[in-house]
Amino acid sequence: MTLYALQKLIREINRDPAVRTRFFEKTDELLAEHDLDAEERRVLAARDYRKLYALGVHGLLLRPFSILHQVSEPDYLEAIRGEPE
Amino acid sequence: MSIAYAAAISHAPGYVAWVEAAPPEQKDALYSGAERLRGELAAAELDELILFTSEHWTNFFLDHVSPICVGRADAYSGPVEPWLKIERKTIPGASELAEEILAAAYAQDVQPGFAQELAFDHGTMIPLSFLTPAMDVPVVPIIVNTLAPPQPSPESCYRFGQIVGEVARKRGKRVGIVATGGMSHDPGERNHGFIDEAFDHRFLEQMAAGDAEALRRYSVADLGAAGAGAIELLGWIALAGALGSFSGEVVAYEAVKPWATGMGLMRFDFAA
Repeated sequence: MTLYALQKLIREINRDPAVRTRFFEKTDELLAEHDLDAEERRVLAARDYRKLYALGVHGLLLRPFSILHQVSEPDYLEAIRGEPE
Repeated sequence: MSIAYAAAISHAPGYVAWVEAAPPEQKDALYSGAERLRGELAAAELDELILFTSEHWTNFFLDHVSPICVGRADAYSGPVEPWLKIERKTIPGASELAEEILAAAYAQDVQPGFAQELAFDHGTMIPLSFLTPAMDVPVVPIIVNTLAPPQPSPESCYRFGQIVGEVARKRGKRVGIVATGGMSHDPGERNHGFIDEAFDHRFLEQMAAGDAEALRRYSVADLGAAGAGAIELLGWIALAGALGSFSGEVVAYEAVKPWATGMGLMRFDFAA
């Protein structure tokens, strides 16, 4: 697992409108360009907040990332407080 | 000439971005408290303002982290967050004062990082929007790494603050010092929404009493037990170091559930 690469890409999606647009519109293409393993690509594309949090993604990266997708605070907290499957 | 002003203020985004989510009496206490701090700052007729602040993956990421970073630019801009409901502005930088702080620190074998370019996020823009709404007082932002372990110890922040205080006193200008961040909150983490009010009240009492011994005894883990965001109180401890002998007054404290943050505002009396 390359938590650093995963967090770095989430930060870029959060910060950079061009990267953000590519994440929304050409997800697979963007993810293929980054040094992520298959599982990391899957949970990021699926926006599996529970798994992303369990992998160690910092809350101040993950919560803004979830806001991009209009995830409410209760839904976000329910996701990260649960046990990953 | 002297340190002409000192205050501390929390910076939860809700303070400006979702104000009305807070109960009206809490909002009113925090807004009238901020107005009092603003009025006192205006009366102090500051030439320059030092900010002990924190940031939220805005300038720094895990590719490069400074434990303490002194901004040495001639100008800054912010906020980076388009949703913050603070108009994007350019804020003048007090670069000469920044150079003096760096020179004094390095002369004492204390080596903070430095940056010629920093973007301001809500952590810095919220205090400025309340305290210097015209954003016309030149600033030195000092960003403490409150995010990525290992963070600097409270003791090291206190000692760095002492150096900043010495420089401010020798500066020949009217210098204000503001700490921002905290209090108890756990943003984006499992305990988001939990506010350790007992911790906040104890910390406020120690700041009010100018109890440097108690403040220096904290560990990062002690602060983090009140939520990851409580580590931002490192900036308050640095302020205590800068002021040396001081007492404080809690201008407002509210545990604001809808903002998920213990919000503290303090003013200080100290030897100039």
